[in-house]
Amino acid sequence: MLLLGKIGLGMAGVALAGAGVLCSEGFVQVNVVEKQPHGASIHIIAPAMLAPIAVRLAPSRAFEEAAGQIQPQLPVIDAALDGLRESEDMVIVQVDAPGEHMQVAKSGGSIIVDVDDPAAIVHVSAPIRAVSSTIDQLAAASPEANPL
Amino acid sequence: MQPRIRTRTHVAQALCLLVAGIMSLAATAIAAPAERYIHVNVQDSENSANVHVNVPLSMAERILPAINNPDLHDGMISLHRADLNGVDLRAVLNAVRTAPDNEFINVTNKDADVRVAKSNGNIMVHVIDKKNRGQKVDVTVPLKVADALVATANNGQLDVAAALRTLNDAGDVLLVTVQDSGQRVRVWIDSRSTQ
Repeated sequence: MLLLGKIGLGMAGVALAGAGVLCSEGFVQVNVVEKQPHGASIHIIAPAMLAPIAVRLAPSRAFEEAAGQIQPQLPVIDAALDGLRESEDMVIVQVDAPGEHMQVAKSGGSIIVDVDDPAAIVHVSAPIRAVSSTIDQLAAASPEANPL
Repeated sequence: MQPRIRTRTHVAQALCLLVAGIMSLAATAIAAPAERYIHVNVQDSENSANVHVNVPLSMAERILPAINNPDLHDGMISLHRADLNGVDLRAVLNAVRTAPDNEFINVTNKDADVRVAKSNGNIMVHVIDKKNRGQKVDVTVPLKVADALVATANNGQLDVAAALRTLNDAGDVLLVTVQDSGQRVRVWIDSRSTQ
């Protein structure tokens, strides 16, 4: 009985530590609400650490096209994300037009994109570190990065 | 403890606190120079649209050298020889720097009015494009920024990365204004992260 208790405690500890590590990079949040009648409403919150792992584990063919487009821009994207990581919280881009609002901001180590247009309301929040790792993983999947 | 000793101890404590406060303020000032931002604002009255862009200068400084295409390489813009028309930019800037504040160019014709002047350490360009709905363009470039553009660049190149670094030390400045009947575009530098 005592042994079972110890094993249970150990497993709970491992699970807790695993959850802690998984959540250590924050969360990616995606909310999409379509404005049309019976439109879709999607709400996703996932540990940010899963994104680069998912890209790494997925078949590289799935990302070949995106990876090919990202690869040439990688130095610029990396420089921008590094700069963003060190900057203070701020609104980077804001566009307001009749019936439309779009904002890209940095807040608390995350990039936040908000779009409100006649079709939908979209909110995406992702930790910069996770975005950076995911883009690096994506670029690594490009044919140019793996010529053999 | 005797009253005199207690008083001296209190004075010493107050002095220590004062010195610590001053040192921490100085350390903060030295360690974290105020970030400066380049702002772009577009007001499109025809479409009732408004665009705000705010970018820390340090971020722009990082991004610029990473962009590599035929016209922008390692933070340098290559000017085409046809654009320069044999003009030695460095020599022109040297001449402008040593000249007193003045209007150097004033051209008025049926297509456009162009004025170029030096004022308070800035080069100022005013253009009215009569063919393009009377579009007005005002450009103000601090002389030291203009110097940085050509200081380390070969003739036919502009060192934009060096200019950005110099803008960090320049004061708040409205760099570009473009205005016509439908749109107003402004580009400026200051130390506020918002507009």
